[in-house]
Amino acid sequence: LSAWLNKNTAPSITEKLDLDGWKDVMRTTVQEEIREGTSESEEDPRVAATRELIEMWRLSGKAVPENISEQDLKILIESPTKTSKKKYLQFLAKKEILKKVKKEKKEKQKAEKRELNPPTQEDGDRELKNTFLLKFWSRSEDALYNWRAAQAMIFGQPLVFDMDYENCMSRREMENAVKQLLESEGMNRRALDPFHLHYCNFKTDGAYHKELIKRYGDAWDKLFVTVTEKAHVEVFPQDQLVYLTADSPNVMQRFEHDKIYIIGSLVDKSIQTGVSLARAKRLNLATARLPLDKYLQWEEGAKNLTLNQMVSILLTLKDTGDWKKALQFVPTRKHAGFMDVSFSKNQ
Amino acid sequence: MFSIQTSGSVLQTLLKNHHTFYLMPRSQQLPAVFKCFIFTTSYQRAKNPVDPKAGTAMWRSKGRDEGKEERRTGKDYSSSFNVFSAGASKKRAVLLAALSNGEQPVISSKKTTLSPPEKPLSAEEWGKLMEEFQGIKQFEEFMFAQMIAHNSPIDVAKSLLAAVAQRDGDIGYNLLVKYLVLCVSQKQTKEIYDVHDILKARFKTLETSASSLLIKGLSDSQRWRDALVLLEEIKKFIIPSKGNYGDCIKAALANREINTACMLFHEMLAKNVTPNLDVLQFFFDTGKCVNDTDFKNELIYILNYLRNNQVYPGEALMESIKHWFESIPGEKWKGNLTTVKNSGKCPSCEQFLESINLTEEEYDILKEKIIKDVIHGTDTFRKTTPQELEVFQRFVNQRPPFDIVIDGLNVARVCHKNNPSQTLLDVVNHLVQQNLRLLVLGRKHMLNGSRQWNRNNMVAMQKKADFFFTDNVSEDDPFLLYATLHSGSHCKFVTRDLLRDHKACLSDSLTRRLFFKWQRGHQMVLSDYISGKKIKFEPVLNYDTIVQTTGNTWHIPYDDSNLERSSYEVPIKWLCLQQK
Repeated sequence: LSAWLNKNTAPSITEKLDLDGWKDVMRTTVQEEIREGTSESEEDPRVAATRELIEMWRLSGKAVPENISEQDLKILIESPTKTSKKKYLQFLAKKEILKKVKKEKKEKQKAEKRELNPPTQEDGDRELKNTFLLKFWSRSEDALYNWRAAQAMIFGQPLVFDMDYENCMSRREMENAVKQLLESEGMNRRALDPFHLHYCNFKTDGAYHKELIKRYGDAWDKLFVTVTEKAHVEVFPQDQLVYLTADSPNVMQRFEHDKIYIIGSLVDKSIQTGVSLARAKRLNLATARLPLDKYLQWEEGAKNLTLNQMVSILLTLKDTGDWKKALQFVPTRKHAGFMDVSFSKNQ
Repeated sequence: MFSIQTSGSVLQTLLKNHHTFYLMPRSQQLPAVFKCFIFTTSYQRAKNPVDPKAGTAMWRSKGRDEGKEERRTGKDYSSSFNVFSAGASKKRAVLLAALSNGEQPVISSKKTTLSPPEKPLSAEEWGKLMEEFQGIKQFEEFMFAQMIAHNSPIDVAKSLLAAVAQRDGDIGYNLLVKYLVLCVSQKQTKEIYDVHDILKARFKTLETSASSLLIKGLSDSQRWRDALVLLEEIKKFIIPSKGNYGDCIKAALANREINTACMLFHEMLAKNVTPNLDVLQFFFDTGKCVNDTDFKNELIYILNYLRNNQVYPGEALMESIKHWFESIPGEKWKGNLTTVKNSGKCPSCEQFLESINLTEEEYDILKEKIIKDVIHGTDTFRKTTPQELEVFQRFVNQRPPFDIVIDGLNVARVCHKNNPSQTLLDVVNHLVQQNLRLLVLGRKHMLNGSRQWNRNNMVAMQKKADFFFTDNVSEDDPFLLYATLHSGSHCKFVTRDLLRDHKACLSDSLTRRLFFKWQRGHQMVLSDYISGKKIKFEPVLNYDTIVQTTGNTWHIPYDDSNLERSSYEVPIKWLCLQQK
């Protein structure tokens, strides 16, 4: 150790300090850990190596999840590049943290609830109140929505989701698309006058089908939605169909109640421009885009909106015909505000 | 300590955003020991505040004005040299900036910098300091980051590690890695050895950042073979980076293990890892001292690699290449730096450079790929329709080959003061006077008759040139490419578009390079246009800018270090090597 100190040409204080002592500390703790390390790992060497790498990345403070499932590990090993691996790990880490925070919050709320009304009262003691209505449970609400949805399936205006984009999407994009689809359906169900949703070009046992069953579970078969393998042009007369796409040269002037609007069920995180326009061109359908530039001072972001935003906008238009109300569903980060109303009227 | 480490990344980001708040109020009440610390906090900045929002708003509106300015002036293009020459885009950008006489937006960094102590502190002193900054949860990591930023003396870092070891009886992996960063940047070989041994003993595997650092550190030292071992370990789960390979190759070369170096070099090329230029430079520098035919062949291989991958050496590498050639005994090479004239004749050796024209084979490959990847792509309907494509192909086939294909809409918008149809008419007239067969591509809306697209002008033009109008929703550029390629290699095309998006559609890098070469040799760019008076095209180069040899000469284009070159530009300076 003295040899070390001699080499350090540091000023006087240094001599009082033991600058290299930590190395000995580190060296002495070595032995035990080595024995621990070698005992395990019976798995596939690649899996084991990846697990170890993740563990080391975690130690060095990189964004990686603490626990990783077999399935995620498989996806990770299959990702081709270092960047894609890191990205996926980051995504998993973020997800894990969110989950943890949510769980903590839930527990906290539970604890608070328990504090507020301690379960001292026994059920027999409680006095029944004199009320006009029984408690309005959420299941009664559901029944109401389902009635409406059923009615929409008989009399409602169709709204088509074109599910023909399975091959254009990556795994992540597909997951996002299904999430948006779920939200759209929920939004539609809660509407006063719902659309009759059609999932056209739906491939049984395709990627969409699998993901939707995964998300909906048993509810998938009870959904008030028409799911068909047929194309929209087979189900509806061609002259009524309007394909909504941000690439369309035609601007939608107003919502028409006798048209059948088609929304391409596509999440595009890469740069495939004009995919849905190409599809509409191929089928020789009318196209339209929302008059975003006419009503909004667009600032940033792509003009393609998520599926649920589209459904919200269309529902509002259907009810009110008011563009300003409808375009409230466009994310506010994308625009600086609405255009002057009088100005837009003059146009 | 451990609970902190688990969610390290989140905390770090929190730290980045918030530590200013912890530091600011405490900076006034520091004990005397820490007077050696310097603080720059948001406090000072708060005295003369700059509203960040106002700043960005100003900048944004500037951006808009810039766009307008560009549209108004129209003649933003008059550069004396080719659009594909190095620095052309930079020059345009400067011109634009000058036009908008924009001030740079004030970017105020919100980061607080806390200077680490200049002298090693004892464990007690570190403890006190830590207490002082309880707000910072990962004090050690933060302090290490600051030490790295300030390149603090290594003893200070050591004293912190000692303090941590004394307190916890252990030092976290992340702290050791951070310490390693400091050691490697200061080339503390002894320390690197120690940390290497400790890490190796403590942990079964190392992750990539530590391995990279160790490779970097060890490659300069006596124990450079350990770096090779580490490289092997990285290969188990990931393709090593070009830096990893580069460090190992340099180490092998420095220790005259030529075979190892060459093997690693070929291995990295096989894995599609692009070597850094300084590694190549190291090869040539070594070549000066090593006199060996095998190694000479290796260096020639590198030059061919540069040629095949269209890599241009920087100034430093060029110098090394020049010196190496001049040092080959008995061959009497002489190197000169020149710029090549438009004629393609090298002023120093009076030889003509390789022609930019593609060979017949290459031409056919390119043509086929353009049709397959650019026009059809994944879906023919995305850019056109099959019917339209068929009509166009019939149209082109029925006519004799064209001399020049004009992108009507692009050319018409060259000058924004002028009526577009008038501009197009001027250009068409100018080219027709030279007895050239023209094809003008446009969209159907040009025929509708409007103020912009004057019917008389359109009729006058259609008498002089062939016209093809695509649908308004179709793209006209793919048709431009097809028509030009179809007419044969004498045919050129006129557009100001750099066609980068179409180049990106091509599926492999070889065709992309072919496309770029063809583009440089066939694209005419309107450089100067004054309505009714002057029409001038930039000269189309007829030589290829690429590393090339004729056996007793080498011509090597290189990047001037003062000139920023974009990916779609080529260098203008050359190294001419000649055997006498």
